[in-house]
Amino acid sequence: MNKSWIDNNTFHYSKFSDLHRLVNEKQRKNLTISLCLPTLNEEKTIAKEILIMKSELMTRYPLIDEIVVVDSGSTDKTREIARGYGADVYEASEIFPHLDKFVGKGENLWKALYITKGDIIVYLDADIKNIHHRFAYALLGPLILYDRIKYVKAFYDRPIAIGKSKIRPTGGGRVTELVVRPLFSLFFPDLTQILQPLSGEYAGYREIFEHIPFPIGYGVETSMILDIYEKWGLDVIAQVDLDRRIHRNRDTKALGRMAFAILQTFIERKIKLGLVDYKEKLYDEMIQFNLVKGEYKPDIYKIVGLERPPIIEIPEYRKKFKRALQKRPHAIAGETDVLG
Amino acid sequence: MSDYLEKLPGFVDTIKSIQETVITNIVLIGQTPAPTFKEKQRTSIFMERLAEFQVDECTTDGYRNPIGIIKGTSESKPPIFVVAHLDTIFDKDVDHYYSIQENTIMGAGIIDNSVGVGVLASLPEIFRRLGLRFESDIVLAGVIQSLGKGNLRGIRHLLKTWTTPIRGAVCIEGAELGRLNYYADGMIRCEIDCNISPVGGFKHKFKPNAILIINEVINQIMQLRLPQKPRSRVIIGKTSGGFKHGMIAYDASLGLEIQSNSDKMVKSIFNSIKDIVEGTSHEYEVDLKLNTLSNIHAAKLQFNHPLVKSAVNVMKKLDLTPVSGPSESELSIFLSRNIPSITLGITRGENHHQQNARVEIEPIFTGITQIIGVIMAIDNGACDE
Repeated sequence: MNKSWIDNNTFHYSKFSDLHRLVNEKQRKNLTISLCLPTLNEEKTIAKEILIMKSELMTRYPLIDEIVVVDSGSTDKTREIARGYGADVYEASEIFPHLDKFVGKGENLWKALYITKGDIIVYLDADIKNIHHRFAYALLGPLILYDRIKYVKAFYDRPIAIGKSKIRPTGGGRVTELVVRPLFSLFFPDLTQILQPLSGEYAGYREIFEHIPFPIGYGVETSMILDIYEKWGLDVIAQVDLDRRIHRNRDTKALGRMAFAILQTFIERKIKLGLVDYKEKLYDEMIQFNLVKGEYKPDIYKIVGLERPPIIEIPEYRKKFKRALQKRPHAIAGETDVLG
Repeated sequence: MSDYLEKLPGFVDTIKSIQETVITNIVLIGQTPAPTFKEKQRTSIFMERLAEFQVDECTTDGYRNPIGIIKGTSESKPPIFVVAHLDTIFDKDVDHYYSIQENTIMGAGIIDNSVGVGVLASLPEIFRRLGLRFESDIVLAGVIQSLGKGNLRGIRHLLKTWTTPIRGAVCIEGAELGRLNYYADGMIRCEIDCNISPVGGFKHKFKPNAILIINEVINQIMQLRLPQKPRSRVIIGKTSGGFKHGMIAYDASLGLEIQSNSDKMVKSIFNSIKDIVEGTSHEYEVDLKLNTLSNIHAAKLQFNHPLVKSAVNVMKKLDLTPVSGPSESELSIFLSRNIPSITLGITRGENHHQQNARVEIEPIFTGITQIIGVIMAIDNGACDE
């Protein structure tokens, strides 16, 4: 394992709190930055995220150029609220309407690449209770200040909100510790240095995101790391300590389904890369049992490992970003120009 | 004088145009817990925000009250104080994270007093947006240890150690928009504690119950004849006691406030309650103690004081109907030092002291405009007579 990565590419958010410097450097490099919030029924937290980011990183410091919400069809007031507070709001199903329609976080992130304008895209989950603008500027810091870094991942303490009014001081990250870390340790020990590979907060250059496939659902974070690692190596990745993140707790069954999707993505990546030869077809149903009136009944969730191709392969995308693709000032060494 | 009044309605939209900054300040400060005596973390955030907005000076006084100063254009005019208390009634382990909806913000302490403190921190930016400069220095003070047992220690210390004259003051509270407090009742806040030794002995044939003893005290207080003039009342505000359903309570306590617009009457009622406590203690042979937590003297401005009249004019200009009543907040400390001052509310709210307290966003901008109008009135001489 190349241990130097964790020393050289791990930062604390406070290192990037000089927002003047970030803005100056962003302007000097002529960069544009988009913030994308994927949502599904996030009416309780979405307004706060938009307001704080808009106030601190648009009105007061022009670091972010646009805030975009991509919604999976919320049935609450997520879209109205987000629009009311000034975000550009899209329904995922309305983007590339001619393609098959899927619902999932990965789908929203992938489609966001088409409707955002930025050279850099910041993705933040929309359920962060203790949202602070450091969640965005700290992810942007390494991308703006260090030319070698193209993708930045968040890590943090993860207290969980329990019940309505109490905060439990430790916990969280169960899927990481029980599923992802053992897998990385077995197959990609270098990647164990990424402390929270499943964190929903990350930022990167468009040229990274447009060249990798996006699983539709929970597997998107894992696949993103594997693909970036495989394509450009660990050194283009950095991680930033964001201190604390408070999020809603998920029950064990929901985490089980999440773990299923991650394992599915991981194994399919291994097969695709030719690293394992699996003789049988994988099943695509997560089966969990409930005791109902003295009888064990299965809950079956179909989790199909669908993924979107690298968006650069979509003609509409290539047409829209043609100019940017032709004169890209921040190209990554060794990147293949798909436009030929 | 009416020049500034005419400008006020136009301010509302300008302030609304930076609503995200005002709300961000309210949220970032309000989400930082600050139970009375443990305000350090909120003090730091408040200072950080003031420094971010580039006030001319940002410091704490000897009691750790955070203060920001915006320098005025005149060397000779005394400063104008704008004050909001930082502390809340909620412990640190209570969820302080706020939820913002289309036109509301909800969460613990939002009314008392996150909105007030957030607005205070936003004033430097709002003044800049409105292009306002004042003759007086504007002192923005977030005062600590205000509530309950804090007994307004923060503001008491700040004013005691402020050596130069103060031109006037505005105290900010989250709600209700339209309140105009210009007098403070005399008040004694006290606690009555009953403790009964759980160890058996020959003292009692039947073990007394602390809750019933407190109940007896309440009954006797209820029998006190209080005058309508001077206006006086006793508020039974808090009780606690006991361990479990099937066990006699060994301890119980009662929190109450005596309020009157006459200090003499407050003292007289306090002595009556003291007699009740001593009598009950003797009669039931229990340990019953009366502790004074806080004491405020009655003080007031006259309704025809130029500051009150100016505030009424400002509110009317903004289509607000002033509602007056006594206030036992920072106002009383200013008034007791003969510093003309008033308390104003920023917005409308509900569930005041509960974890699901909620405020309306839209009225906040009118509430802020009203504060600015009164500051302008003071700067124009409303307190200089």
